[in-house]
Amino acid sequence: MISFKNVNKWYGELHVLNSIDLEVEKGEVIVVCGPSGSGKSTLIRCINRLEPIQKGELIVDGMKVHDKKTNMTKIRAEIGFIFQSFNLYPHMTALGNVTIAPMKVRNIPKKEAEKLGREKLTRVGLEDRIDHYPAQLSGGQQQRVAIARGLSMQPKIMLFDEPTSALDPEMIHEVLDVMRDLAKEGMTMMAVTHEMGFAREVASRVVFMDEGQIIEVAPPNDFFTKPQSERGKAFLKSILTH
Amino acid sequence: MWGFYFNELIRSLPFFLKGVWMTVAVAGLSLIFGTIIGFIAGIIRAGRNKPARIIIGAWVDLIRGTPFLVQIFVIFFILPGIGIELDAFPAAVIALTNLTASFITEIVAGGILAVPKGQREAATASGLSHYQQLRFIVLPQAIRSILPPLVGQYVLLVKDSSVVSAIGVVDITRVGWLTVQRIPEGLMVFGLVGLLYFAICYPLINLSGFLERRMTVVSTKL
Repeated sequence: MISFKNVNKWYGELHVLNSIDLEVEKGEVIVVCGPSGSGKSTLIRCINRLEPIQKGELIVDGMKVHDKKTNMTKIRAEIGFIFQSFNLYPHMTALGNVTIAPMKVRNIPKKEAEKLGREKLTRVGLEDRIDHYPAQLSGGQQQRVAIARGLSMQPKIMLFDEPTSALDPEMIHEVLDVMRDLAKEGMTMMAVTHEMGFAREVASRVVFMDEGQIIEVAPPNDFFTKPQSERGKAFLKSILTH
Repeated sequence: MWGFYFNELIRSLPFFLKGVWMTVAVAGLSLIFGTIIGFIAGIIRAGRNKPARIIIGAWVDLIRGTPFLVQIFVIFFILPGIGIELDAFPAAVIALTNLTASFITEIVAGGILAVPKGQREAATASGLSHYQQLRFIVLPQAIRSILPPLVGQYVLLVKDSSVVSAIGVVDITRVGWLTVQRIPEGLMVFGLVGLLYFAICYPLINLSGFLERRMTVVSTKL
């Protein structure tokens, strides 16, 4: 479903992605973790070309993301992307946020898009917040609207870039619950997160990154109990004892 | 004597009203054209085409960095030298449109650039095209910060339009000059001139203040 082959990216001198090779199968849930600045956010932002890559091949759902000639609109429509800072449209209600892309990108009529939007908002537990503006919602609710916005495009892949990092602790679980349900329904997912409970429970594999490289890829139980690399051990120690 | 001149001035009122009409016509046309050009240039200036950005930036700097009186002289007295001959009225509208457009360009570009980057990223990620992002996501948010200074710019436009009297357009200011030759009470005549400008500008000033308050309320509510 997602295939990285020797993917490289630089910011000036900084080698943010260094020879990345990774195959993600349909229905897999990949948790990406690593210290800050390790390139994990960049890794998933490349998948829908929010960041272009400079070298290597990146193929998503059979389409060449690395090729500048590829029309990204079609690929992006198939990928839901969840940001750390939600990035909801502040001038639209929850329903407006959820229906704009289906109407404008998929050309779904308004009535139908609203039916779909209500369905998705209900699914993330916000059926009573449909007409609220983002500023009238809590952080956890905003992030769930953002997930509903992603789902409203009926995507094949959902990407999460630290979806709970900007949330107060008591709101983290409501977002993780939604993500857990998605994972169990067979959605192909990649999530940059430090929520190790989530990783243990639903991840197919954990990808551990440091300094732009993938250091380890392992099933969560193996990674958490017996990490193979020194850096992996050091990282786990630092996050588990904090 | 003062009473006599005052009566003379009252008799000249129709002449002044013609001047008001001329000021409104010059400023109004420049407002419409300047707003259209300013929005288009502002959107390009905030866009991704670097050469276009640089060219528009240079134009804005040039217009903002030279006196309006000089600009209007260039258009009215110097362009005929290279074969472009204009009447005073179209020359005035062109000069004032050019001036207004350059200021509105900066207001519009500033408003667009003030919309957080994440908004565009979210719209990009959901597959909206560049045009759709601008139309549905960026401009509706940018307009909140654009509107109050935009109307403020219209106030300046009305006042700056007095400069077109220098090339013979018979606007309020020109009417004042002509009248003061018959009625040598400068304070009285130009007091009326000022009052007439104020009558046009005051509603705009209020509108700008109203929009400013309203936009603040809306953005804190959101």
